[in-house]
Amino acid sequence: MNKITRRSFLQTGASAATATLVAPVLVGRGWYAFAQAEAAGYFEREFGITDALCRKVLAEALAKGGDFADLFFEHTISNNLGLEDGKVNRAACDVALGVGIRTVKGDQVGYGFTQELTEKAMLAAAATAATIADAAAKKPAGAFVPLKTKNFYPMKTLFSSVPLDTKLPLVQSVNDKCFALSSLVAKVNVVFHDQQKRILVVSSDGVKAEDLQPRSYLGATVVAEKNGRRERAGWNFGGRRDFSYFMPSLVDKLTKTAVDRTVLLFDAIQPPAGEMPVVLGPGLTGVLLHEAIGHGMEADFNRKKISTYCTMLGKKVAEPFVTIIDDGTIPNLTGSINFDDEGTPGQRTVLVDKGILTGYLHDKISAKFYGVPPTGNGRRQSYQNYVIPRMRNTYMTAGPAAPEDVIKAAGKGIYVEDVANGQVKIGEGDFAFYVSQGRLIENGKLGAPIKDVNIMGNGPKMLANITMVASDFTLYEGGAGACGKGGQSAPCSFGQPSCLVKSLTVGGIKG
Amino acid sequence: MKQELYDQAEKAIKMAKAAGADASRALIGSQRFVQIGYRDRKPENITEAGTKGLRVEIFVNKRYSSQSTSDLRPASLKTFIENAVASTRLLAEDPFRTLPDPKYYQGRSTADLKIYDPDYPKVTPEARHRFVKDIEESCLAKGGDKVISISAMGYDNHSESALLASNGFDGYQENSAFYGVAQITAKDAGDRRPAEYFAAITTSRQALPKPDVIGVEAARRVLSLLGAKKIKTETLPIIIENRVVSDFGDGLMQAMFGRAIQQKQSFLADKKGQKIGNAALTLIDDPFLPGGLGSGAFDNEGLAAKKRVMIEAGLLKEFFVDWYYSRKLNWEPTTASPFNVVVPPGKRSVAEIMKDLGRGIFITGFIGGNSNSTTGDTSIGIVGQLFEKGQIVHPVSEMNIADNHLKIWHRLAEAANDPDPYSQNRVPSLVFTEVVVSGA
Repeated sequence: MNKITRRSFLQTGASAATATLVAPVLVGRGWYAFAQAEAAGYFEREFGITDALCRKVLAEALAKGGDFADLFFEHTISNNLGLEDGKVNRAACDVALGVGIRTVKGDQVGYGFTQELTEKAMLAAAATAATIADAAAKKPAGAFVPLKTKNFYPMKTLFSSVPLDTKLPLVQSVNDKCFALSSLVAKVNVVFHDQQKRILVVSSDGVKAEDLQPRSYLGATVVAEKNGRRERAGWNFGGRRDFSYFMPSLVDKLTKTAVDRTVLLFDAIQPPAGEMPVVLGPGLTGVLLHEAIGHGMEADFNRKKISTYCTMLGKKVAEPFVTIIDDGTIPNLTGSINFDDEGTPGQRTVLVDKGILTGYLHDKISAKFYGVPPTGNGRRQSYQNYVIPRMRNTYMTAGPAAPEDVIKAAGKGIYVEDVANGQVKIGEGDFAFYVSQGRLIENGKLGAPIKDVNIMGNGPKMLANITMVASDFTLYEGGAGACGKGGQSAPCSFGQPSCLVKSLTVGGIKG
Repeated sequence: MKQELYDQAEKAIKMAKAAGADASRALIGSQRFVQIGYRDRKPENITEAGTKGLRVEIFVNKRYSSQSTSDLRPASLKTFIENAVASTRLLAEDPFRTLPDPKYYQGRSTADLKIYDPDYPKVTPEARHRFVKDIEESCLAKGGDKVISISAMGYDNHSESALLASNGFDGYQENSAFYGVAQITAKDAGDRRPAEYFAAITTSRQALPKPDVIGVEAARRVLSLLGAKKIKTETLPIIIENRVVSDFGDGLMQAMFGRAIQQKQSFLADKKGQKIGNAALTLIDDPFLPGGLGSGAFDNEGLAAKKRVMIEAGLLKEFFVDWYYSRKLNWEPTTASPFNVVVPPGKRSVAEIMKDLGRGIFITGFIGGNSNSTTGDTSIGIVGQLFEKGQIVHPVSEMNIADNHLKIWHRLAEAANDPDPYSQNRVPSLVFTEVVVSGA
């Protein structure tokens, strides 16, 4: 609670494997095992949630007026399998079931939720939500029209239909391959996470949308020892994927990445402190866009005039070769959504078009304020939270330069490969990132590996200072990344090509 | 509610046994909360709800799993636990997984820890709204024409939990919490819109500061940040303010857990009995602070709580070792996680200390950053005030400190006299010398 104002990106990729959780519960004969992979009709079938019942609850939520009300039903089953000291010896399962009921009047929100999907409990929660308004009762729409969208993450097989003894060898193989790759490896932790989130959104304006959102990842954390020193690193792969994604070839890629990254740290140094050119490598460094730029473009911060970008709409904020997108429609990526948690279809939203700031990320409340259609960014952690504008997959598109020319142009500076723990101050635009892996750049060439430094900067300044963008656009394929805002976590991803930032502050150790 | 929670936890343990578990532990928690936010002198959001959740840990055939659910319908729960036991059998054997030896349940304190405010049920909706409105009004008044946006929020909850283990542990705890916060964004030069907040959380309503204290302090803090700039990289003394010092101390603490040590992820693994800081560094875990946010008579495994001096005058004396890792390490268990972290206060105020330090940085906020529990390396962004001879010169931003936890605590010069009363950590502002502060 005391960190309520912090908006931090929790890059849990490596550390996920260190969580205390673990393993799955629902073997093939589990009670959801025979549930269909299709989303439609699940809540009516399993819990008796009919249109008539929804209309009754929505009417209660609008009993004192308000612009609209909505219901968000959720049934999520999450499983973790964990390996420590060579054995898959822990499992954890979590089931979340409930409904959140929201009444909206202008920019004011009344919210109640319940874990009991009974008419009595839902009406009580709706009555709580209704207290935000104080006018004459309104009626919800006479009929709900099921929303039809593309499916960006179809599941061939539900996780609950994958027997546990199929998952166990996968997790074990990560451990065994890590140890086989280097004699320096001392400890390996592995986690396999799978989640099936079923949601149903029913809104008083007549929208009804039902979805099945998978999320999964396989992560390894490696500790290596050399000459009395220890280093630790990790990696994960995942997304909105079903079990078929986790093939032996992926395990090879995961283990090689995790072990190489750990062993490399024995040669890493901390660079000198100060201002210098910084090259952001392709892929994962897109976290920087997410923090330094993306959060400032969430419309709630702009509507309240607390974002540094609130006066920049329509203005030039970057060079013409910079285009930045937030996109919910990339197949199987962690931040993709068929529709958001208000029932608005997932879409591709341009934030910066060839250097010009063109739009913000909206939920229904901010879209109404700005007089634009919602962009499908209304998201929430669970039925216990109300919607706020959130990013999905945020990335910069490819530019014209060759990657090696970008490094050459930097001359003397640092090359960033992996960042974590980013945080931004929305109002000033100031941000800080922890660089867990990178390289020195000396005489326009990559030099010694670096580690454990921070880079600091200012979002708008950094955007204006991107002087080269390369052609090597890469999306980050990790599944463990989650963004924190207002105490709510939301899965998302990002990407970018190599780019050169003219100057950022690097927080090294030497004066 | 107490008996109802016990009954449900007991039912879960019986279900686990019927499904074939050798042993089990059940935690059931129930809470009700109200949250009210104000902005532009009207409610921005009102949320009120109750939650109940069950966690069951299953031990079967030397195998272990942990299950949690909010779906407490009897039929669902029975199937859930049966499936859990069946799948746990398929995991690898782990001989270290057992319930704790019941001798560690013994000697539990019966002191009244004052963690539940008996007046909680008397809090009215009107009082809640008045409290939040007054936070906003006082913040607006103090912020004056610099205010861009203020969000005020009040939150309170009443929670109860019962923990039962099949080898003879049962415990119940009832808590209340009251929380008030003001967040304010102010106009600065150009497009800069610095934001600050002040928050307080307590277990009794009486202990919570008056709303105008919260609002005025948030505004004072943001006004002090106007005109922030970075200075050149320099080696300076720093004072880390009580409110944020725990964020920095976490980097030291995370290396003090049994798991980190056994998994070779702790830079303190071989340092027990050694000096890891200078004489100013003493760290106590005190479960019995009256009204403490982390106070309790037992930990989440049922081990009886004890007050422990973890670090004494720089000497590392204890680690946080839960039952499982105590068996893996072949050590005595202490506790799975700290209750209330206490660093004894010093004698002087921050203002007095500043006068003697010459030029330095008073750090009032952190941004981003990391601390590596394996190596102790840390690097973190800072916000604060540059001072010289006791006088504030100007606020600083876009700056960073980088150091190593095995080194920096030897440069801890002094603890101030101001432990933060509105946090689980009763830690005062701390003063370090010779820290590289990176900027331009």
